Amino acid sequence: MSGSLERLHTLSGHTDRVWCVCWSPNGTLLASCGGDKAIRIWGQEGPNWVCKSVLADGHQRTVRKVSWSPCGNYFASASFDATTCIWKKTHQDFECTATLEGHENEIKAVAWAPSGNLLATCSRDKSVWIWEVDEEEEYECASVLSSHTQDVKHIIWHPHKEVLVSASYDNSIKLYHEDDDDWACFDTLNGHDSTVWSLSFDGAGQRFASCSDDRTVRIWQEFPQDDDAPTKSAPRWKCVCTLSGYHTRVIYDVSWCPLTGALATACGDDAIRVFEEDLDSKPDSSSFSLSVVESRAHTQDVNSVAWNSKRPGLLASAGDDGDVVLWQYTRNL
Amino acid sequence: MADATESSQGASGDLFDAIVMADERFRSDGFHEGWSFGEMQGLREGKHLGAIEGAKLASEVSYCHGFAATWKALLQMENTENPRTSRRLKVLDSLLLMICNFPLHDAANPLLQDHLEKIRGKFKQVCSLLGTQPSDDPAASSIAF
Repeated sequence: MSGSLERLHTLSGHTDRVWCVCWSPNGTLLASCGGDKAIRIWGQEGPNWVCKSVLADGHQRTVRKVSWSPCGNYFASASFDATTCIWKKTHQDFECTATLEGHENEIKAVAWAPSGNLLATCSRDKSVWIWEVDEEEEYECASVLSSHTQDVKHIIWHPHKEVLVSASYDNSIKLYHEDDDDWACFDTLNGHDSTVWSLSFDGAGQRFASCSDDRTVRIWQEFPQDDDAPTKSAPRWKCVCTLSGYHTRVIYDVSWCPLTGALATACGDDAIRVFEEDLDSKPDSSSFSLSVVESRAHTQDVNSVAWNSKRPGLLASAGDDGDVVLWQYTRNL
Repeated sequence: MADATESSQGASGDLFDAIVMADERFRSDGFHEGWSFGEMQGLREGKHLGAIEGAKLASEVSYCHGFAATWKALLQMENTENPRTSRRLKVLDSLLLMICNFPLHDAANPLLQDHLEKIRGKFKQVCSLLGTQPSDDPAASSIAF
């Protein structure tokens, strides 16, 4: 299967590299953040996309990632200043309602659980923190997990279950769940030969993709635990596919579209690539093919890609060149 | 001299052996002397290091213990029906339980480091919940974890 990627809009405004783009759950707003310590909220007005607000007073240093709450009324921003800010949508704008402190240094990612009651953050201090949100919008630390031996780069929640996945500079991926009133790591996935930069679940939550400094994308699939297994710690997630040979440099981000099943990657060679699962792909050993490469998507490294979860094929990307770009992906029949 | 004469009579090669093998013999003697000296030295250094590291570890765990016990006592004076207070008490209890189960007297326990990391994580959570940082505490400033 092949496809095409059409450049729709280039959104300029950030004065430094853009680290992350994230769509609101209803797909109408796009949040971006970057080295200029600012968060920008973009929305559509008629045929154009405009910057609805600039939130520049929340953080003292680079804003590394943003994540919307499942209800869309809040988003969280993670910064190198070791704090996470919670922003609440007000009548016209956004207001910072809470600042979460605790990490020792740079926070690398933040992710809101599908229930909306839990928030996870991870940092260069090698730890993953889980925060609980109560009725009064107070955030309390529910757990501090120090399973990784190096900088934790990214975290994502399972789309339906309370399972957290983290990726690290120690080349491993770890999975956590709540166990006996506390959170614990229940599986470690090794396979990547270098830093794991990002993760993305598919729509069903049966598989997730990871991308790495080793220039590969790996697809991991959940297998029901075998009760007869000799050891109780038998891994439940296994690598079912490795996409290698496509990327010429580090892959910084991966996004798996819940609507179309297309997989987009953001690469250090300035390109965006879209992969599609082969029609004859077997359930236990997936196979994917390259659908399209946009080799000069940005003039510098591409840091982030994100599929819109309501409009099929609408993709946002962000790069070191300071631009946010919107793309329309179409399959050629 | 007499020995040498005797042995030269006994076996003609021995006299020369003593000379030819001298290099090796001295090396071997030196090696063994050095070995035992090094062993003693290493043992002493190891014991010293072990004492320092052990003291560090014990003081860290004891500090956590004292911190948790004090906060527990303080919180128990408050209204423990309050859900916030009871949640804090629950986490403090779980930290105290971890410290009780810590294999402080079993330095060779392979789970020691793992256990310590869990205590550190729980301690960070406790600090976050209480809204306090151990570095704010003047007593803690002299201890660097």
